[in-house]
Amino acid sequence: MPSKHAAIRAAITGLALLSGISALSVQPAQAIPAFARKYTLDCVACHTAPPRLNTFGERFLENGYQLPGTEDGGITGKKSLGDLSLDDFANYTGVRLRGNVLRSHHFKQQNPPIADRGTVHNNSEFGFPEIFSLFTAGSLTKNIGFFAELESNLEESSTGIERAFMTFNNLGGNNLVNIRVGRIDPSATFSFSTLRQQLEFVGDSVNTSTNMVQRAGLFPLAASAKFYGLHNRSGSVISPYAPSLYNAVAETGIEVRGRPFGDWFMYQIGLLNGANETFGDSNRGKDVYGAVRFDYARTAHFSASLSGFAYLGNSNATILTGTGQADVNWHRYGIAAHVRYKMFDLYGMYTLDRIAHMPTAALTSFDTSASGLSLALDTYVTNRTLLSLRYDHMDAGGDLSQRTSQSFAGFQLKQYLRSNVAIFARTDHNLRRAEDGNAAARNLRHALFAGIDIAY
Amino acid sequence: MHVTRLKYVAILIVMGLCASTAQAVKPPLNRDTLTEGRRIYEQACAWCHGIGGEGDGPAGWFIGRYSSPRPRNFVKDGYKLRSTASGELPTDQDLFKVITRGIPGVMPSYRSLNEQERWQVIAYLKSWNPAFKEEQPVPLTFPSGPQGPTEAGIQNGRNLYVKYDCRVCHGDNGEGDGPEATAGHLRDTYELPIRATKLTDPSSFKNGASPQDIFRTLMTGMDGTPMPAYANEFAGQEEALWELVWYLRSLSGQEGS
Ligand code: HEC
Ligand code: HEC
Repeated sequence: MPSKHAAIRAAITGLALLSGISALSVQPAQAIPAFARKYTLDCVACHTAPPRLNTFGERFLENGYQLPGTEDGGITGKKSLGDLSLDDFANYTGVRLRGNVLRSHHFKQQNPPIADRGTVHNNSEFGFPEIFSLFTAGSLTKNIGFFAELESNLEESSTGIERAFMTFNNLGGNNLVNIRVGRIDPSATFSFSTLRQQLEFVGDSVNTSTNMVQRAGLFPLAASAKFYGLHNRSGSVISPYAPSLYNAVAETGIEVRGRPFGDWFMYQIGLLNGANETFGDSNRGKDVYGAVRFDYARTAHFSASLSGFAYLGNSNATILTGTGQADVNWHRYGIAAHVRYKMFDLYGMYTLDRIAHMPTAALTSFDTSASGLSLALDTYVTNRTLLSLRYDHMDAGGDLSQRTSQSFAGFQLKQYLRSNVAIFARTDHNLRRAEDGNAAARNLRHALFAGIDIAY
Repeated sequence: MHVTRLKYVAILIVMGLCASTAQAVKPPLNRDTLTEGRRIYEQACAWCHGIGGEGDGPAGWFIGRYSSPRPRNFVKDGYKLRSTASGELPTDQDLFKVITRGIPGVMPSYRSLNEQERWQVIAYLKSWNPAFKEEQPVPLTFPSGPQGPTEAGIQNGRNLYVKYDCRVCHGDNGEGDGPEATAGHLRDTYELPIRATKLTDPSSFKNGASPQDIFRTLMTGMDGTPMPAYANEFAGQEEALWELVWYLRSLSGQEGS
């Protein structure tokens, strides 16, 4: 490992341990991230179980980090900036450290020697929790909010800004027009939010010399790219597991959203640069998306929603033709729903992807449609024990020689030692037959993880 | 009570002042007030308290999960945070205070609603419980405390803490780990397990942590929970109750007023 990475790793370890220790040593009511601190609330005022939001948390998010039904501008936001103290800083800043301390992947057959992990059949390792994120968010003043998240991911050896945006709320009237601009996650307010999963993302593994997936990623597959052999505009391969388009972790653009007729209906319209494009992209056009959401959230400890989106890409990906690269339009349509009743939180999404504008020459070797389904259920079996299940299915598209459809079932038990400190054990199982090929994603038979999730 | 009557004066003046400033924007009880109150309630409070005020909002379950508290049921529950005798309804001022301050851990402060909006929402939530029309809740009047704690007073407060069995629930040192608590015997009116407050952590006190607040809590009790009212035990012995208050304050290293 290059020394630069070693240094980053050491720094992160230090930071993480520090945050872990401080998280363990403070009072419950304060041992919680930014918003909870700011409003002296426990995490579960807004979350069913972090990072999943309950209805109150969803409306808080929609209102630009202000209490629903108010334009609080943040309790500290009312002070002028010169008066900000360390406490105020803590009211705006949170950290989360999460990941696996143990991971174990079991294969029917893994890859030939040229693959980057050699011929290992089964593979267990201890590690340090991979993902450390620092976020700062809140409302600066009445109806103007911000969010920035810096994430350091050891598994991917990457550190960078995940999401960063400004929010402008209640323009023209209560919940009429809310704007987000910057690097946003379009699905944040959808019935199925990409980033709010109890079963964390587990990265896929790609053979660096052949660019072939050799170990399936464990993702909510409805949110994933689902195509093999698709490239982004700078030429790098888009992993079929990468959350993308409407379900991206973050894309650059602007969005307008509101509930003009009351709580039961939400609209959302957005304009983005496109898959993995930053500001000042070379795109000919922008990607657009629109979504609607219907809600019922009134009494009986019950809430439900149903939403649908259409995402229309505009030269937002490329494919390799025999002679070079060609731009294609990558679209996605999806529907999602959630139902929550007391301890149960059930949510799911179905998506359908289509590639339009394919060069005819490439059509014989490329499947232009793909679909995905994710269904998740979280339930508190006791006050401190959360059981989560997820079913994922991908009917993959893209390069016919590589494309593999797959279905996984994941199961996780999470034990909250305190409201902000949890340990978990998880297992994922492949529900399809192994393929036994050289670089077959499906050869991953099952996987086991144990880890921690600390938020402070 | 006659002994300490003079001491009421200061408190009454302060309360009177609070009442008159807050009262200044208190809207008349009419259709418009209720309509506005309802609008605010449905956008701000219903998530937890439920659209019909029955404490069963879509987000309310997660707060206590299998334990206390659930959001208040405004249709039929009693109230915890009052200045009135045990079993009575709260005054409007009490409700105003709760909404303004919030409840640590479970309900945010609604300072972001202006005072008029807070009064409107109070009018609306009271409209669910007919008892509010029939009763006129009156606050208990409390004497102001002695100048400050003395060593001997705190020691005497400790003796009262033992004498009145606070230990049984709150633990010998106020850590919330008394035998009744650790045995899991404490329940609220819904039979949900409830924790005895950690008296060493005043920031978690729902009813406020100033000496006056604690004094009031001990007089009124917290209806719907095992926390009793001690108004009868200490009738005519307010000095002694103050000593208990000073002792509780000393548990978190706070002395004086
Ligand atoms: C995040 C959830 C939440 C929201 C939002 C919320 N409350 Fe509450 N509220 C609670 C809980 C939980 C309790 C019960 C606390 C307890 O019993 O310890 C409560 C209790 C109360 C009480 C009773 C206090 C007492 O003396 O017993 C009142 C009054 C009240 N809330 C009013 C409101 C109003 C008005 C709003 C909206 C402006 C509101 N609440 C919004 C969770 C909430
Ligand atoms: C039968 C058990 C029991 C006994 C006896 C008891 N308490 Fe409590 N007390 C509780 C419970 C339970 C709560 C928490 C109520 C809640 O959170 O809603 C509480 C809460 C409190 C609070 C915090 C109030 C607030 O604002 O949140 C104080 C202070 C307190 N008790 C002091 C005392 C003192 C002093 C005594 C003895 C004179 C005493 N208690 C006796 C059960 C008890």
